[in-house]
Amino acid sequence: MGCPHCGRVHEAPGPDMCVRCGWRLAANVPDTSLQWVWAWFFAGLIAYIPANIYPMLRTQSLGRTSESTILEGVVELLHHGSYSVAIIVFVASIAIPIGKFFAIAYLALSIQRKVRQGVHGRYRLYEVVEFIGRWSMIDVFVVAILAALVQLDFAATINPGIAAISFALSVAFTMLSAQSFNPKTIWAYGDHSKT
Amino acid sequence: MSEHSSSLPDVEGPGQSIWRNLSLVWLVPVFALVVALGIAWQAYSDRGTLIEILFENGAGVTAGETTLRYRDVVIGEVEGVHFSDDLRSVVVSARVENAILPFLDEDARFWVVRPEISAQGVSGLSTVVSGVYIEGAWDSVPGEATNSFEGLENPLFVRPGEEGRRITLNVAPDMQLQGGTPLIFRGIEVGRLEEPRLVGDNMTIQVDAFIEAPHDARISSATRFWDSSGFSIDFGADGLSLDVESLASLVSGGIEFDEVYTNGAEVPDGFRFDIYSSEALARASAFVTDVGGEVPVSVQFDTFTRGLRAGLTVQMDGERVGEVASVTVHSFETDTGTERRHVASLLLDPAAFDALPDGAGPEELYDYLADAVENGLRARLSAEGLITSEFRIELAEVPRADPAAFERDAVPFPRIPAVATERPTMNTTAEGVLERVAALPFERLLTQAIDTMASIEDLAADEELRQVPAEAASLLADARDLIGGEETQAIPRAAFAAVTDLRDILAELRESGSIEALTSVLAQADTAMGPVSEASERLPDLMANLSALSETAAALEIEALVTSASTVLATADTFLSSEELAAVPPALSTALAELETLLTALSEADVVGSLNSTLASTEAAADELPALVEQTELVLAQIGTLSSAYGTRSVFLTEAMDVLREISAAARSIAQLARTIERNPNALLTGR
Repeated sequence: MGCPHCGRVHEAPGPDMCVRCGWRLAANVPDTSLQWVWAWFFAGLIAYIPANIYPMLRTQSLGRTSESTILEGVVELLHHGSYSVAIIVFVASIAIPIGKFFAIAYLALSIQRKVRQGVHGRYRLYEVVEFIGRWSMIDVFVVAILAALVQLDFAATINPGIAAISFALSVAFTMLSAQSFNPKTIWAYGDHSKT
Repeated sequence: MSEHSSSLPDVEGPGQSIWRNLSLVWLVPVFALVVALGIAWQAYSDRGTLIEILFENGAGVTAGETTLRYRDVVIGEVEGVHFSDDLRSVVVSARVENAILPFLDEDARFWVVRPEISAQGVSGLSTVVSGVYIEGAWDSVPGEATNSFEGLENPLFVRPGEEGRRITLNVAPDMQLQGGTPLIFRGIEVGRLEEPRLVGDNMTIQVDAFIEAPHDARISSATRFWDSSGFSIDFGADGLSLDVESLASLVSGGIEFDEVYTNGAEVPDGFRFDIYSSEALARASAFVTDVGGEVPVSVQFDTFTRGLRAGLTVQMDGERVGEVASVTVHSFETDTGTERRHVASLLLDPAAFDALPDGAGPEELYDYLADAVENGLRARLSAEGLITSEFRIELAEVPRADPAAFERDAVPFPRIPAVATERPTMNTTAEGVLERVAALPFERLLTQAIDTMASIEDLAADEELRQVPAEAASLLADARDLIGGEETQAIPRAAFAAVTDLRDILAELRESGSIEALTSVLAQADTAMGPVSEASERLPDLMANLSALSETAAALEIEALVTSASTVLATADTFLSSEELAAVPPALSTALAELETLLTALSEADVVGSLNSTLASTEAAADELPALVEQTELVLAQIGTLSSAYGTRSVFLTEAMDVLREISAAARSIAQLARTIERNPNALLTGR
């Protein structure tokens, strides 16, 4: 059996620990990774709700305070004609997280249901989810940078709203969810042959 | 799994319990859920309560942006702005913090704070950039919470629940006060006025004022309020003084107050004070009337009402008893159609009526007026002053007034009958003056004056006239010389001495028993002389003479003598006292001197014979008297002729003098008129 961490192959029954990296070795241990996936998934989902209904940014400009949620921000940007920015924000803050939720849910469900088809496709999907996860933070970055830069007191001040924290948490949870995913399980039940 | 259990029934693995394999990681979503729910619940509970405020307009109020503030702290936010069902007002729905809600009872007031630049300063400046907000004010006592409020159009100057005292001030129509005008006590702002309002038949203007604690303790019946707006220039004996109150009150008016005397009585809330137009008036009022308690009456004027206006003084017997509060026009339906009459509403002060006891109320005043009207009391519009007419309403007893009664039930107030106004004369119409000026024959007057001056010049150039003064002067010099002559000067003294002596003698004579005494003396002398005559035969004539004299003396009515003597003396006196005495012959002086000597001798009862001679001398002197008088008369006549000659010659002069006097009088009146016009040039334009 192979070390799940470094890949060193041991003879079975072998030591409890990987002789190279010390990772715990177990054969046919009930895989709990899916629980982790689901747990982080739901945490991310829960965090995603306030991230959308609460304001992302509190903009104070000359005494006027305006708050806007992510979606309002997108709509506002569209009204202003900044279509490209609107699309970027929409993709980064809405399309990707939601797509990620769907992807993770699909992967997790397919493993639970021991779906055998499309193993390669699912693996590719998993990799995409893993890769793209960190880029969802682009919104949080923007908010963080704006909030740090625009502190001009009365003239203009931008403060992050509750949604910023929720969104960051949501993204973090979904990333953890994706990372908890044990790609081996895709192969465990899958049809190894490319179909 | 079923195939495994059938083949290997004994090696059934440990039950795959969900709970057993449950990873601790599930705590994360659970925790997230709890937190999310917590946040949601908190947001919901913090949401506050929706209230509705009705405004006339919603200028600047924006849903989601406009905040609701109390003492400048945000307590809520406007959620929506919409119209009421009938589109009459704007309904602003706002969410208010729940903690505030119990205080939002009936006395809560809301108004929209907008940037405002007033005389008191700039307020709400922050709303220029941040947008308007809704300010609320309420007291600190929780009450029955309400959800719907009427918004105010103007900011509330006095917040409910503020410590202090609310009073009411009567405002004169010309003061033009604004809401928010500061109340000033010795230069310190201690309160504010609210918006002035019309009350009671629109007769008076009242304004509520709020005085903050602890300054409200200064309000008593001795407190007087006055309008300190603007500035006053006082030019008096101590120079020019310019009195400028605070700049804010200069522009928008300020009401100052002070206690004008000590120990004023407590006044109840809502007590009505008057606002005087100046501090001097306010302070003077301390000696005139107590505040308040004015009684309204009305007067209907049928005829001339020129000059009738609010604010006129109402006088009675020269004392101010009230003032005209308003003048309105009432129309009446009569047989000849609708007639309109001026009705003046007066506010009389019962305290100003001497006939009324202290503290008399309206009823007493009305009773008094009813009696007085029966006795002929009437109201009358009168004017005084030459150019600027000072109008006032007089309550005076008018003789031969048409019978009238005090109408208690008249509208709007009990009515005092009026009599026709005195027609405007020169006093009331400057037009009259101007007309007179215009009618003055200036040109003719000037021509006449020039003519007269020419005549005077001619006259003065006349030689004869020039001689007149010289003649008069010489005449006067002569007269002076005559009078100043030592003889003349001596005459009065001698005459007076003689007269005095004569009077003394006559008095003595009267005292000493008079005629009988004299007779007896003479008889005795006769008797004494008898033997002498007998003895001396040589003197029979003398004796006879003497006897005759004695008889004459006895027969003489001394009283008549005295009378004639005193007449003579009186004549002499008159003559002597006359300044026109021209010439007196020295004889008179001599005669008088002799008379004096004689009288002296007589007084000594010396010689009887000397009496005779004296009397003779006196007679002689008296004989000369008419000549003297004639002479005097002659002199007087001469003087008279001279003066008459002078007089006839100077007819021209007299006339000239008269003319000159007239001219000077005319010039004086013109100068007066010019001065008056100079003093009040508007008079030419305004006719006053």
